[in-house]
Amino acid sequence: MSDNLLSVRELVIHYETDEEVVEAVNNISFDLKKGEILGLVGETGAGKTTTALGIMGLLPPKVANVISGSVELDGNDLLRMTDRQMRKIRGKRISMIFQDPMTALNPVKTVGDQISEVVLLHDRCSKAEALRRAQEMLGMVGIVPERYRDYPHQFSGGMKQRIVIAIALACRPDLLIADEPTTALDVTIQAQILDMMRNLQKENGTSMILITHDLGVVAEMCDHCAVMYAGELVEYGTVEAVFDHPKHPYTEALYRSIPSLDKDVERLHVIPGMVTDPASLPAYCSFADRCGDACGMCRTLDPKVLDLGGGHTVKCLKYTSKWEGKTDGKTESA
Amino acid sequence: MEKQNLLEIRNLKKYFSTPRGELHAVDNVSFDIERGKTIGVVGESGCGKSTLGKTLMRLHDPTSGEVRYKGEDIASMPLSVFKKKYRADIQMIFQDPYASLDPRMNVIQLIEEPVRVNSKDLGKEEIRKKAREMMELVGLAKRLENSYPHELDGGRRQRIGIARALSLNPEFIVCDEPVSALDVSIQAQILNLLQDLQRERGLTYLFITHDMSVVRHISDDIAVMYLGQLIEKCPAGEIFKNTIHPYSRALLSAIPIPNVHEKRERMVLKGELTSPIDPKKCCRFAARCPYATDQCLETEPALREMRPGHFVACHGAEKFLS
Amino acid sequence: MSKIHTPAMEKIEKKNAKRKKPVRSTPGRESWKRFKRNPTALIGLGVVCFLILVAIFAPLIAPYDYQTQDYSVMMQKPGAEHWFGTDQFGRDIFSRIIYGTRYSLVIALFCTIAAFFTGGLLGIIAGYFGGRADTVIMRIMDIFQSIPMIMMAMCIVAVLGNGIPQLVAAIMFASMPTMARNNRAAILRVRGSDYIEASAAIGVGQLRMIAKHMIPNAVGVMIIYFVGFLAVSIMMMSSMSYIGVGLSAPTPEWGLILNDGKAYLTSAPYMMVFPALMIMITCFAFNLMGDGLRDAFDPRLK
Repeated sequence: MSDNLLSVRELVIHYETDEEVVEAVNNISFDLKKGEILGLVGETGAGKTTTALGIMGLLPPKVANVISGSVELDGNDLLRMTDRQMRKIRGKRISMIFQDPMTALNPVKTVGDQISEVVLLHDRCSKAEALRRAQEMLGMVGIVPERYRDYPHQFSGGMKQRIVIAIALACRPDLLIADEPTTALDVTIQAQILDMMRNLQKENGTSMILITHDLGVVAEMCDHCAVMYAGELVEYGTVEAVFDHPKHPYTEALYRSIPSLDKDVERLHVIPGMVTDPASLPAYCSFADRCGDACGMCRTLDPKVLDLGGGHTVKCLKYTSKWEGKTDGKTESA
Repeated sequence: MEKQNLLEIRNLKKYFSTPRGELHAVDNVSFDIERGKTIGVVGESGCGKSTLGKTLMRLHDPTSGEVRYKGEDIASMPLSVFKKKYRADIQMIFQDPYASLDPRMNVIQLIEEPVRVNSKDLGKEEIRKKAREMMELVGLAKRLENSYPHELDGGRRQRIGIARALSLNPEFIVCDEPVSALDVSIQAQILNLLQDLQRERGLTYLFITHDMSVVRHISDDIAVMYLGQLIEKCPAGEIFKNTIHPYSRALLSAIPIPNVHEKRERMVLKGELTSPIDPKKCCRFAARCPYATDQCLETEPALREMRPGHFVACHGAEKFLS
Repeated sequence: MSKIHTPAMEKIEKKNAKRKKPVRSTPGRESWKRFKRNPTALIGLGVVCFLILVAIFAPLIAPYDYQTQDYSVMMQKPGAEHWFGTDQFGRDIFSRIIYGTRYSLVIALFCTIAAFFTGGLLGIIAGYFGGRADTVIMRIMDIFQSIPMIMMAMCIVAVLGNGIPQLVAAIMFASMPTMARNNRAAILRVRGSDYIEASAAIGVGQLRMIAKHMIPNAVGVMIIYFVGFLAVSIMMMSSMSYIGVGLSAPTPEWGLILNDGKAYLTSAPYMMVFPALMIMITCFAFNLMGDGLRDAFDPRLK
């Protein structure tokens, strides 16, 4: 068996309503090794959260539709599993942390009860043992274990996010999916939480998918980085490769559009137009209409994922042998 | 060259009474804002930066202190006088472009509204013409006139907010986290637009944000706030090279930088922000400060000029002046 | 165009091909679209429309006069001649129920309007001005609410006698507090929104703020409560008539018809079953419609 913990293959997820079909995730494939942190970056509507929910089997029923693909955890396809089987996996083998710690906790239960509840659900043990585990977890995330009898409202935002993490890690899952875990927090608290997450990840060897829109967080936390745009994985590689030599025009433009802390820039680089609407994707490259490098073939062909060596993949026609070069710099703006 | 201050804020205080005591949201803040410049106000949530902006706008009534706008104190004048005389001069761009636009109005109605309520003598045609000019100015296509906010993306909604503020020809604009709800690629568009408008129209900005890289990019001066107080103020370039206050340094070191090779020494702070309810007379940062001494726990540090244009409120400022 | 074509897309394309022009999306149209998608809400609306038609065309539908007594057909079981049977005076119950629709719907509408313009308006005032006005108004409403509705109705009837205006007044007084509370909450929610602050920042005055920003945004929620109150009013009216403090005989009001049948419950249950069913169906329809409106106007509330 390979050392891949999770492998996602050709996953396609659509949201279907009476008026439109939103192509949220389009044919994405990636692997996650044991003990690795993968950063999933992209803007609003890029399909990051949908991908995560798809892995967790938590997509909203009826509306969301997995069109094709597979999500294999240790070789078992999660998409083929029954609800019952998935319930055993969720919380035990895969956990997820959501963006807003304020709404993720039950306000009328003590935090100790909330952590031990997960333990009791998945592990055969006594109540006392589960509570001991809960206290141990609280200590691990940097909260005095004696506070297990407190209710969520007695904690601050950063503390609540620590508790959410404690719940997620209570059963020592193999995979933790963190969806913008620090976006709602202040920078100094974010720094504390990220430090803690990195230490816990190292100690337990948990694999992690970190969803964020903050490239800085990815640079600090991750081993691999996957850039998503309009539901597609446009670039994937080690953080060193993606940050030092970004290949996809979108990734490059993204870097140039964030203000730098150490360089003075008179004007920021702008990606023209607005984020492609996943409810009406073109049949050609989704980024072509905003791309500064796009040429004629970009508006007729949909690029395939290309390996540039060393596992650095990019979904762009620029790197194919047929590339005709830039013919006109004209891009449509809004 | 003589500096011309558009705004002079002196000992401004805004307290809220809460069931748990007086909340000192803005406590004794004094600084000047130069005409045509941008002053960035940074700090974490609850530091009072938004309250400061809203107090300058008179959306909150200040508890005490002066705000001299072109020499006249606008903080103590009756609200009705302020509205008549200065409402159009001082405008605001709001943080959340999703919540700050009335969902039942379309784009043109939203942009016409400020003109309609402030210049009663203008006819329908003139108002429409003015609104269309504004749409063009902020880069909103004419075809969007009849669209409703829910149909537009965050960047365009924020453009509506900017057009609304600008249509009154203000001189001073409070930008309250105008880009923090936007995606990075859209954020760049809006920041550029704000800079262009400043250049063309000589606007003065108070730019409130929690994002240090944005504030560095757009500001001339930076003011750091902590629990209602101004703790450091200096030119923008200075703060990243010669930060003095330990809190500012912690804040800077906490920012994740999108560079895989740069591994920085991080100053991790103990504990979390409390809220400034009935604060003790001491340095408010002392409880979290790794360098706190007895003096810090006993007396409140005053704002002192440590270098030309660089003000710090810290007892140990000399020590950190490397 | 799309990356991968699915059957769902084809369906939508077919639908779009039929439509000529793309319709502009306004907040109102979005709400109607959500309402249309909700089958139970449509059933509720359908039943309500049907009842309104029945009320309007009652004379054409009803086979007999509602108050003509015919002692030759007393206490007949439901059959081909008299669909819902006849009562102890030989009156046709079906016709009485058909005419009763008029009374129920119209009086319920009056009661709700009256409650809205008293309690509702007070609630709006309390919500907008806050402070002392809020405290005074809401405490008065609390006092009102602490008097049992039936007792208040009995007092009113005892003083003023039976009749439609008295009935409307009684129900109005009973529903005022809830109406006030609901409308106050609706206004408070709008008042706390960012766009109200943003409008204040550009100098919008008090009158325009209420008329152009607060009312349009709160009206959806208010309609929801309004429809809900129609059902409550019908219930109250029927129960008051049933215990004899509402309308008086021979008005064909549903509660009264129930009351007529009370004595014959064991021997002629149909006399009570049909009016009771009518009350139930009507309230149910209003509630379904109200729930649909809530989902349509305010998808966040659930």
